[in-house]
Amino acid sequence: MDATDLSLNVNIGGIQMRNPVMTASGTFGYGSEYVNFVDLNQLGAVVVKGVTSVPWPGNPMQRIMETPSGMLNAIGLQNVGVDGFISEKLPYLRDFDVPVIVNVCGKTVEEYLIVTEKLNSADGVAGIELNISCPNLDCGGMSFGVDATLAHELVTEVRAKTHLPILVKLSPNVTDITLIARAVEDAGANALSAINTLLGMAINAETRKPELANVTGGLSGPAIKPVALRLVWEVYKSVSIPIVGMGGIMTATDAVEFFIAGSSAVAVGTANFVNPQASMEVVKGLHAYLKEADIGSIKELVGSLQVDPPTIA
Amino acid sequence: MRSNCSLNTYDTRTTILSNEEVAEAHYLLRCECAEIAQHARPGQFIHVMISQGPGMLLRRPFTIYTVEGDEITMLYQIIGAGTEQLSEMPTGAPLHVLGPLGNTFNLTTNPEPAILVGGGAGIASLMLLAVVLREKDIQTLGLVGAQHRARLLSVSDLESIGIAVHIATDDGSIGHHGYVTEILTDLLRETQWHRPTIYACGPHGMLAAVTEIATDFQVPTQIAMENRMGCAMGVCLGCVCPVRIDTDRFEYQRVCTEGPVFNATDIAWDVF
Repeated sequence: MDATDLSLNVNIGGIQMRNPVMTASGTFGYGSEYVNFVDLNQLGAVVVKGVTSVPWPGNPMQRIMETPSGMLNAIGLQNVGVDGFISEKLPYLRDFDVPVIVNVCGKTVEEYLIVTEKLNSADGVAGIELNISCPNLDCGGMSFGVDATLAHELVTEVRAKTHLPILVKLSPNVTDITLIARAVEDAGANALSAINTLLGMAINAETRKPELANVTGGLSGPAIKPVALRLVWEVYKSVSIPIVGMGGIMTATDAVEFFIAGSSAVAVGTANFVNPQASMEVVKGLHAYLKEADIGSIKELVGSLQVDPPTIA
Repeated sequence: MRSNCSLNTYDTRTTILSNEEVAEAHYLLRCECAEIAQHARPGQFIHVMISQGPGMLLRRPFTIYTVEGDEITMLYQIIGAGTEQLSEMPTGAPLHVLGPLGNTFNLTTNPEPAILVGGGAGIASLMLLAVVLREKDIQTLGLVGAQHRARLLSVSDLESIGIAVHIATDDGSIGHHGYVTEILTDLLRETQWHRPTIYACGPHGMLAAVTEIATDFQVPTQIAMENRMGCAMGVCLGCVCPVRIDTDRFEYQRVCTEGPVFNATDIAWDVF
């Protein structure tokens, strides 16, 4: 690819990227794991595994289960904690010329703020992505992301603590995602990530036990792509900040569909597990698509869905 | 156990050279993967994409059974839809093979002789090790357990490299009527096999029993763990097992990266 080719350049909420292909949090570790297969300098951004104020041990086994065209996971956000991330993981990423977006989780607003403040003073963080699907312990375990008021409060508090660009990762497990999207936009989010995993479960008919120790888990992979596209389309029509589309993207063609639905960038997630080079292949494929279709910039695709007007009988 | 994952890991597109039933519900698959063959060490595994469509999304992990030139083999049991589909794939069918992955058996400071304890398809994880032990001229004994005679694996492969094999079957259709762990206990009482090193792989219950025996007799024991895997590269944290970090605490470590080989006594068996 020609380094001077600007057709894939995007700016997501203030983060300038050479192309619109990111990695989805939790599917790319802390960047070093796939370095044999992915040139990090060729990615739009690296979104690292969610970090919390203290290390989290994670859930008991079993944590994952394959389902038709997808997988369920209930990892429980096992991570090294923000201090461990800054001292052990971030220095490695600084050697690359790629924006690093840190996914942030917490069980209380206070925990989100602790992580945010520590990331503020860390060198090499381009932005933060708030995972608002975590259970809020101050509200009986209800997820921040399923209530517009809770989500608004959380983003307002984080916004007051940081000048870093804030992406908010939306939960699909809601009645009307546009209410949450507008609430977090109003609270100062710079961009939205859509979507997080869909809650699901798998049951072993012989043992009558759940396949996951946590009983329920998050569904990802191609199985959720139609749902993700629909939600991106709905969010696109209701906000003006950019959307990072994700949910079952395996190929560049999948990614193109997300741009057409209204995404300004995309993230490759579960596909990384199946094909370590998936993100690179999406970058190359997008480039080829633009060239083939003679489109000067990926931005022209965003929200370009052609809906035929209803015919009048 | 130190992880040496990633640097010498290759995503190879190859084809099946042969895929034959070698025991009831068990198959031996052979394919050419030159880089994997070159770097494979005892205990390591490969992550294999079986389906070419998205329906069956994830790869499946298999231990590397043997290496010969540019070819590797895997000895696998049909345990679900993935392995069933794999068993039906003909010679010439495409296969994506990622590997070699995971850490290796540690052979540096162990007392001799070596006792290999394999239950069911678990013996497959010990074959590369068996070859290396024999290359080092280490006296090695194989204890092979199976449900019944038709499911017995690897006995002639072990014998062909000079390893004496004791057999146990659940139904007594061949060898000792009972578990391999009973043979192990009897052996450790004999002076000839005093203070060996045990290497084991097999069902969870067998590994827990081996660990108990190893603790009683104070024998260093390394085991190869198995689990469902997502990425096999240390990213998804789906394949963890509980590992003791001190007497009353454990942490979840990745079978794909910190393992698959662990010191038996490091596993927090009571947490499972």
